[in-house]
Amino acid sequence: MKSATKKGSESKGKGGAKGAEVRSPETAARAARSSGIDLETVRELARIATELNLSEVEADPSGRIRVRRRLGGRRVVEAKADSVSRPPITLAPPPPVEGAPEPGTFISSPFVGTFYRAPSPEAASFVEVGDTVRKGQVVCIVEAMKLMNEIEAEADGKVVEILTRNGEHVEYGQSLFRLAKS
Amino acid sequence: MFKKVLIANRGEIALRVIRACREAGMRSVAVHSTADADALHVRFADEKVCIGPPPARLSYLNIPAIISAAEISGADSVHPGYGFLAENAHFAEVVQRCGLHWIGPQPEVMRSMGDKVSARKLMSAAGVPILPGTGVLENDRDAEEAIERIGLPVIIKASAGGGGRGMKIVEDIDRLHTLLAQARSEAQAGFGNPAVYIERYIARPRHVEVQVLGDGTKAVALGERECSIQRRHQKLVEEAPSVALEDARRAELLGVARKATLAIGYKTVGTLEFLLDEDKRFYFMEMNTRIQVEHTVTEEVFGVDLVREQMRLAAGEPLRIGNDIRPRGHAIELRINAEDPVTFAPSPGRITALNLPGGLGVRVDTHIYTNYVVPPYYDSLLAKLIVRAENRPAALARMRRALAEFVVEGCKTNLDFHRRLLANADFVSGRMDTHLVERMSG
Repeated sequence: MKSATKKGSESKGKGGAKGAEVRSPETAARAARSSGIDLETVRELARIATELNLSEVEADPSGRIRVRRRLGGRRVVEAKADSVSRPPITLAPPPPVEGAPEPGTFISSPFVGTFYRAPSPEAASFVEVGDTVRKGQVVCIVEAMKLMNEIEAEADGKVVEILTRNGEHVEYGQSLFRLAKS
Repeated sequence: MFKKVLIANRGEIALRVIRACREAGMRSVAVHSTADADALHVRFADEKVCIGPPPARLSYLNIPAIISAAEISGADSVHPGYGFLAENAHFAEVVQRCGLHWIGPQPEVMRSMGDKVSARKLMSAAGVPILPGTGVLENDRDAEEAIERIGLPVIIKASAGGGGRGMKIVEDIDRLHTLLAQARSEAQAGFGNPAVYIERYIARPRHVEVQVLGDGTKAVALGERECSIQRRHQKLVEEAPSVALEDARRAELLGVARKATLAIGYKTVGTLEFLLDEDKRFYFMEMNTRIQVEHTVTEEVFGVDLVREQMRLAAGEPLRIGNDIRPRGHAIELRINAEDPVTFAPSPGRITALNLPGGLGVRVDTHIYTNYVVPPYYDSLLAKLIVRAENRPAALARMRRALAEFVVEGCKTNLDFHRRLLANADFVSGRMDTHLVERMSG
């Protein structure tokens, strides 16, 4: 399937307009022509993607459109003194949990939504207990406002506990995975 | 009515809405930032959802997070409280587009009343007096003509301005040209735009506002509130009724407010704010399209639960209050803020000891408790102390008594300011205007 892909900016969640760019307009245009999707549609999709800070928009001639937003999981805690102009999605340290092990060993939800362990109901889970994850690896999806947000591990580690069940609602800052340093 | 109401707010107003929900048999959903995990609205709601970190723009102003919270909790309606997103027409539209009920007026009405110029036009068309003034002045001749029409004194204001810069009061026509030139250059320097306009100047205005309710086809004006005790446009004390109004003038004001509410097809509750000049003539200032902090004094004298009526009207039920309703007695509200009594700087911190006043005719709407930590991220309102009595002197006596019982330790408050105000001869006799607090401090 041909797809019109738009890469999200590296500045996580920074308001939309800034930084996002369509990867190689020529490639997108060629893809568009050979797939029967017109250039104007591609432009429109790119605009929407920028506006909503999506990392990927996939469209096929049948009219099926799929969007993704890729975000880092919880930033491993520590604590440069934050300047005033911190990007909106940078996360505060997790609320102190009694008896919690050292900080930085949890992956938490960056927003309110629904937790999914797999990209689709029939697919295998992104990770299982015992798996080793690498920084940047997608570990789950949190659906918010009909958008599937991929949550990435922000550090290497071994999954020792999955704290939320598939399909459960999660709050901002809720711990999803416990990792041991690998 | 509704089954489950999400309250997109915090503090005492979130608690106020939760109470109304509980009494009406509706479930409530609190949303909160990580800074408010221990807040009372979170404890007393039926459900809670943490929506973001402390800064309001990432939590209480975060529309996607609030909508997601409504979605996962299964709420069918959203109450915005006051402040935060309460007058954000875009938020109201998003709420409605997501299939939720918005507990407020129609978004298009919010939008048109939110814009000063269009609000003035709409109100003027509905027969509401507005302060005589001009559009942007083309030249000095325009100014002279305006003054012939309006009379002196007038105030020259920067079109792009605010905060006093570019403002000149003209009391003597001979000084007009000099002051116009000064105002233009100050406006240019301050706002990069020399455009100025003229308005009638009221040296000692009172701030009087009217509580209105509407269902789109009927409207009621539920009395007025006197809100002249302000500091830097922040109200500190509100009363109902206003001692400034004779019966005939009151009837005129309420009639105008009712007609205006009807003219814009207003639904739910709102407030029309007026300036009252020295001769008790009133001029429309702006409309607040939401429940207000000081709704309590109206509730006290009319015996009406305004938040409940707001929710009924938002649910499409007809207005059930008639214009024959009359207030009983006098109510006063003091806003108790966490602030330094001298510098007025906010004073966050842990409340180490607390005694709230009580007894006959005393109501305290607050979210604070012993060991509560006042977070530094939000506004400084700690509590609203409201008293009701058969008349104003009795209400003042009751307020003094209640203030003497009010103890807050651990953070600074403006309780002492209120004690001084209640001993101020002008305030006690009802001779007040929006500059009274400045005169007290100066």
